[in-house]
Amino acid sequence: MAGNFWQSSHFQQWLLDRQDLDRERQADLKIMNEEGYEKCMIFFANFIQALGEQLKVRQQVIATATVYFKRFYARNSLKCIDPWLMAPTCIFLASKVEEFGVISNSRLITTCQTVVKNKFSHAYPQEYPYRITNVLECEFYLLEMMDCCLVVYHPYRPLVQYVSDISSTDDSILPLAWRIVNDSLRTDVSLLYPPYLIALSALHIACVIQQKDLKQWFAELSVDMDKILEITRQILHLYDLWRAYDEKKEIAAVLQNMPKPKTSPSPPPQTQGQENTNQQQT
Amino acid sequence: MQKYEKLEKIGEGTYGTVFKAKNRETQEIVALKRVRLDDDDEGVPSSALREICLLKELKHRNIVRLHDVLHSDKKLTLVFEYCDQDLKKYFDSCNGEIDQDTVKSFMYQLLRGLAFCHSNNVLHRDLKPQNLLINKSGELKLADFGLARAFGIPVRFYSAEVVTLWYRPPDVLFGAKMYSTSIDMWSAGCIFAEMANAGRPLFPGNDVEDQLKRIFKLLGTPTEDSWSNITHLPDYKQYPLYHVSTTWPQVVPRLNAKGRDLLQRLLVCNPSGRLSAEEGLQHGYFADLSPSIKFPADPF
Repeated sequence: MAGNFWQSSHFQQWLLDRQDLDRERQADLKIMNEEGYEKCMIFFANFIQALGEQLKVRQQVIATATVYFKRFYARNSLKCIDPWLMAPTCIFLASKVEEFGVISNSRLITTCQTVVKNKFSHAYPQEYPYRITNVLECEFYLLEMMDCCLVVYHPYRPLVQYVSDISSTDDSILPLAWRIVNDSLRTDVSLLYPPYLIALSALHIACVIQQKDLKQWFAELSVDMDKILEITRQILHLYDLWRAYDEKKEIAAVLQNMPKPKTSPSPPPQTQGQENTNQQQT
Repeated sequence: MQKYEKLEKIGEGTYGTVFKAKNRETQEIVALKRVRLDDDDEGVPSSALREICLLKELKHRNIVRLHDVLHSDKKLTLVFEYCDQDLKKYFDSCNGEIDQDTVKSFMYQLLRGLAFCHSNNVLHRDLKPQNLLINKSGELKLADFGLARAFGIPVRFYSAEVVTLWYRPPDVLFGAKMYSTSIDMWSAGCIFAEMANAGRPLFPGNDVEDQLKRIFKLLGTPTEDSWSNITHLPDYKQYPLYHVSTTWPQVVPRLNAKGRDLLQRLLVCNPSGRLSAEEGLQHGYFADLSPSIKFPADPF
């Protein structure tokens, strides 16, 4: 949906502030360190990307699914719902919301099994364990936790507009900045900043890489340059982290330390008020 | 679900049953729309998701308000603001008489709701009297966004099987795949005429062919001159060039001259010639509309 961002649920309910995010993450950070947490989030963004590519959905669907995933864990511990289940659920929901169509149940699960076996066996040596009933149940929790705010705005569209405004003869800027936007999904910036600022940061980084001087153009934009630099720092931090580590070798150990659900899958704590039926059994 | 006391069944929606209910705490009356979830199916149905998505983003006094989404095992319940009736039931209670000021007020509110949807790049696609709700204070609200779509970049191709036949524009009847806000404007025109005639539908066609004949008998059969590329539409068929014998005062005898002018600017066969919702709101027909309707204190 291409509505007005400033009146959207994305702007009104889902731009969080850093302190808020840090506070919610405290419980998980008692179990694993911050770098481990970041590596987990990068890893599952990669998993979502791989699922999306295998299912041949548009990048928009992958981006929306990744934001859903981040929204869920911004408000819940990793042990609430296993991220191996949450990842395909996010793709399943995003594909419907982005009007890409319903991914058939069997295709979704088969894809999970194939992708895990072929691409992620270093991180998950067993067979992919979840079934469609788990995904459908998980979809409920995801919907509820997001308060049904399903329309997500991405930096891609503003990015294209900015690049056409620069009207550069050099056409390597857009693909580069586009890839940086894709990479930015592996950081927290989509939870913290409006998409147009993320687009500008990606453009900013792309210009530095291409040694293109756009100082004048940025100056005329009259946007908060401090914010753009904050976003830029977070994206550059991602690149530093990436460069310094070999995911294939190290991720198994990182995931080992990840907080895990006791039983899988279990509802996130805030939904338990409604389910009184469980009490009779205990 | 303990929060609401079910009062009565109101109807069947696109994807579930609708109940009138009361909030036990606030005593507020709401409409509950239960979404059926089939276990081994698509999960939360796309049509329900679409409605949730759009109504979460579209908050306006002329669009039905989604208060809450409740979720209990295997059921999803959408909680809407309650309206006493829809426009169809309102017509039934009219007994063939309708106050022309009410027509003007409803039409203005319909266009205002549409203008808001369209400015947010949302098409309703299924406008009909059953989907327009009327509350006790005479406010009109667009509802049932189950078929609504967001539009924008990239241009998408929609199936032709959407709007109820009677309110379907000729371009869609000819199988046009790429349509825009103009689809809703045609439906608004049909509803306008129906309101002015206290509930007598303008083009009650039985099938696509009958529908197009009825339209062309009133408006004249379009040609390449009035609508370029019409012959290239997927389901285009040649229709006789009808001699237009009915005049607008005969079609809508109780509507004044300005109202007839607005109606004619909406009911244009060529979609590119139809008035937009925003333009409609500026039309002289609404010049003497009560300021309390035109400029409500709180637009939301």
